[in-house]
Amino acid sequence: MKVTLHIWRQKSPADQGRFVTYSLDQVSPDMSFLEMLDMLNEQLIQQGEEPVAFEHDCREGICGSCAMMINGLAHGPERGTTTCQLHMRSFPDGAEIYVEPWRARAFPILKDLVCDRSALDRIIQAGGYVSVGTGGAPDANCLPVPKTAQDKAMDAAQCIGCGACVAACPNASAMLFLAAKVSHLAHLPQGQPERHERVRKMLAQHDREGFGHCTNIGECEAACPKEISVEHIAQLNRDYIAASLLSLVR
Amino acid sequence: MATASAGKVRHPKGRAIIPTEQSGLTWLTAFLDSSVGAKVVVALGGIGLALFAIFHMLGNLKIFQGPDALNTYAFFLKHDLGALLWLARGGLLGIFLLHVVLALRLKWRTAAARPVGYAYPGHVQARVAARTMALTGIVVGLFILFHLAHFTFGWVHQAEQDGRLISYLDLRDAHGRHDVYTMVLAGFRTTWIAALYLLAQVALFVHLIHGIPSAFQTFGLQSRRTMEIIRGLGWLTAGVILLGNVLIVTAVWLGWVGTS
Ligand code: HEM
Ligand code: SF4
Ligand code: FES
Repeated sequence: MKVTLHIWRQKSPADQGRFVTYSLDQVSPDMSFLEMLDMLNEQLIQQGEEPVAFEHDCREGICGSCAMMINGLAHGPERGTTTCQLHMRSFPDGAEIYVEPWRARAFPILKDLVCDRSALDRIIQAGGYVSVGTGGAPDANCLPVPKTAQDKAMDAAQCIGCGACVAACPNASAMLFLAAKVSHLAHLPQGQPERHERVRKMLAQHDREGFGHCTNIGECEAACPKEISVEHIAQLNRDYIAASLLSLVR
Repeated sequence: MATASAGKVRHPKGRAIIPTEQSGLTWLTAFLDSSVGAKVVVALGGIGLALFAIFHMLGNLKIFQGPDALNTYAFFLKHDLGALLWLARGGLLGIFLLHVVLALRLKWRTAAARPVGYAYPGHVQARVAARTMALTGIVVGLFILFHLAHFTFGWVHQAEQDGRLISYLDLRDAHGRHDVYTMVLAGFRTTWIAALYLLAQVALFVHLIHGIPSAFQTFGLQSRRTMEIIRGLGWLTAGVILLGNVLIVTAVWLGWVGTS
């Protein structure tokens, strides 16, 4: 197939940046989106041009590196799919494709499609430690976790920290990411002693990084490659309200 | 309040936002400074205002029982409640201001969160109502000011009686009470006023179909299982308010009420 790409090119954080148009022929519909970009980059290198910088690592949908906005949608048009798992068969022959980096004040652009997402790491860091019992191996089944709690924790734990929720949110809010992290630990017995402090600290760091607030629009959930539900944001709100009130009467 | 807000980004390594030593005031500052805390207050205010809108609408339906019923009700509200009236007015004003100021402050801060937008905008499931909360809110807020100027203060328009123009506030019924019934008739028989009221009702409806379910989410009172029901509750509540208010305005405008 043939595609026309409009790709955001930006040399450095300080550079203005602009769209550059490339036509690519003989793209196989079975190529992943990143393989298609590899093909473009090979051609660019052969022509002595600077290849398009983009992040990637696992290429199997588990690391969360491959951040890009494809035709206005984070990770492209397929639901529950990372860019590396998106295939060219999702586009019609002759498609015009706009590729942009995540856009948020908290994610400064480093080069082309690469932005700095360490704000997300700092949110996790702000959560602090999780106390776990050390010493002798615990007996089997001595820490019972109800099935429903287990399911919720595992759903939330799927978050790969890609930042698509921020990219897709009209408020550039990282609330789904934050909620996934908070909800994951909130449902497990480990780390319960720090539960209330953790949610307050992590939310404070979220706000301070310059992410927007959540207006319950729900775009994050549609963009999330791990299909994390906004019900985890309700869990976060619940925990934050409880933690704040408890800290008042402490 | 020493908050580093005003649409600017707080520095990632700035001062701790959670105060270690707690007084009531630092607690409040930290709560209102956090995006979730502020939103909780906005949602509480929104639900308060929505409840008021329901009872306001229900009370005004008395217009269908005739002049005496409406005027008695209005007299009750204004005179028999005594100091409670001022308590209610003060409370409403406080709730309204909290809702508006905190909502707009959140919006203003968040406006800084994406300085450069996308060249190719796209969205999957963001509803129009969700994306236009600030706009519909501002329309409703302006309308509330107009509504007060119109009926509470009588500044906007005058009633015509026996070929004379009379201020709304000077209208009296047979018992010497304020003739609210005639006032409402004078208002909604005027086409541009009726049209303005109807328009505002649509804005309020759109504000509430997102606002009510959103408040449940903000309080953490929903899960994936209850989401659809709560969304339905939003439509129902907003729909009842819309229906009641629109019925009053159109009934007067088209002469179904008060042409005896
Ligand atoms: C009768 C009048 C009003 C009612 C019943 C009402 C109701 C509500 C409700 C229930 C919410 C949901 C809170 C949440 O998202 O958790 C809300 C949100 C909001 N309201 Fe209002 N509101 C009214 C007037 C206004 C006015 C006058 C303004 C602005 C000038 C306004 C601006 C907003 C904004 C911007 C939000 C979104 C807040 C956010 O999600 O961050 N509202 N409103
Ligand atoms: S919640 Fe989903 S979209 Fe957001 S960072 Fe995690 S995996 Fe990515
Ligand atoms: S490259 Fe790892 S998720 Fe796409």
